[in-house]
Amino acid sequence: MKRILILEDEPLIAMDLQLAFEDAGADAVVTVCCEDALEAIGHTDFEGAVLDVNLGKGETCEPVALELRRRDIPFLLHTGDLDRAGEALRDLEAPILAKPSGADDVVSRLFGLNGQFEPA
Amino acid sequence: MHRGDGDGTRDTFEQAQQTGRPFNAEKDNFSGASGLLFEQAMAQTRMAVCLTDPRLENDPIVFCNKAFEKLTGYKQEDIVGRNCRFLQGPKTDQDQVAKIREAIRTEEVLVVELLNYRKDGSTFWNALHLGPIYDEEGKLRYFFGSQWDVSDIHLARAEEKHAKAMAREVSHRLKNVFAVIGGIVNITGRAMDARSVTTKINERIQALGRAYEPTLDDAALGTIEVGQAIRSVLNPYDPEGNRIRFDGNGARTEPNAVSAMGLTLHELATNASKYGALSNGDGTITVSWHHEQDRHERQSLVIDWKESGGPRIEEEPEITGTGFDIAERLLAYSRGTLDRTWEEDGLRARISLPLKS
Repeated sequence: MKRILILEDEPLIAMDLQLAFEDAGADAVVTVCCEDALEAIGHTDFEGAVLDVNLGKGETCEPVALELRRRDIPFLLHTGDLDRAGEALRDLEAPILAKPSGADDVVSRLFGLNGQFEPA
Repeated sequence: MHRGDGDGTRDTFEQAQQTGRPFNAEKDNFSGASGLLFEQAMAQTRMAVCLTDPRLENDPIVFCNKAFEKLTGYKQEDIVGRNCRFLQGPKTDQDQVAKIREAIRTEEVLVVELLNYRKDGSTFWNALHLGPIYDEEGKLRYFFGSQWDVSDIHLARAEEKHAKAMAREVSHRLKNVFAVIGGIVNITGRAMDARSVTTKINERIQALGRAYEPTLDDAALGTIEVGQAIRSVLNPYDPEGNRIRFDGNGARTEPNAVSAMGLTLHELATNASKYGALSNGDGTITVSWHHEQDRHERQSLVIDWKESGGPRIEEEPEITGTGFDIAERLLAYSRGTLDRTWEEDGLRARISLPLKS
């Protein structure tokens, strides 16, 4: 089973994404802050990730994005406001899916990345 | 320093003239009849003006007018003899000061805006215009400085910036609200085993959200630009950006027209994805919009939709889609119409929405 990391601080969006990934036959782990996400990456081999960019109180997903890039794990930025992403995040040139978008679109877009995934 | 109790302006000129330089009363424009006019003009203008003498040590102010006193709060005797930098303070931008220094060195004309301080410590934004004044032999004689209090303009700019930041924040939150609504609908649909229904609901909600999204910046104007709303509704149906062609000018419409227009375009695009020009690999759609006047001289917003290159249409399909029914009813509430013609190479549709006069 494919393991997907979700970093999202809005519970309803997180739940919707998690269910959508489960529907697609993937196992999704939800984290709400960078610290939790980095810890999860440390002990789980993820095959992809969906990152909300703005995590509240000025925190962005940047450290997680950098770590995923370092590990060569494909990820998707899921955001309503890319302007706040900051320089380092923009430099990664990660694929972006604008919020709001359907959870199923998020799933198929992530599965479509780099041809590394096939929808289950 | 000389302190006359007569006309201050004249005194200052006299001071300027008492600096040991040769002073030609005939040739100097600050004396004689034109000199009198100059002094009267300087006394009456609301523009703060000063002259400095770059040939003296420390380039001191040798003349200032009443408006300069009023602007800075200093009396003439506090001003004359000092270098202009006494108006600077801790928050004065040193980059601007450096520009002034450079302009004086190279004898160039310069306009800068910098924060200056009054005698009472309060600040004002000073649009400072400075430039060299030469004598008849072309030698540098004075530096001219005019000061204009542009604090109001700065405040307006700051407010505009603030308003833009607020609009962005609202836009961000609105997107988030739509995303959360989508989440609720999906989760509920799963729980009640009604996925196909909730998918449709969500598609429409999200189309609506996209239609409203570009209107935020514009909303204060009372009307919104149609093209932005059309593009943002349709963009998701053309991720590569090569299937839908947009063709329109900056036509505007009321924000209230957005929901009917957005949902109608969404239905057209959904239909095209399933059966029309977006259902195969190479069909295209041209969407164009303009204002049109009917025979009663009423203005309408017209959006033309033309598909081509999709599957060949043999006969008019039976459209039973509730989506189009909803769209047509919505449009009808605003006395708008949706006309569809099934041409052989693809659907032609026309949305017409009367504008409120």
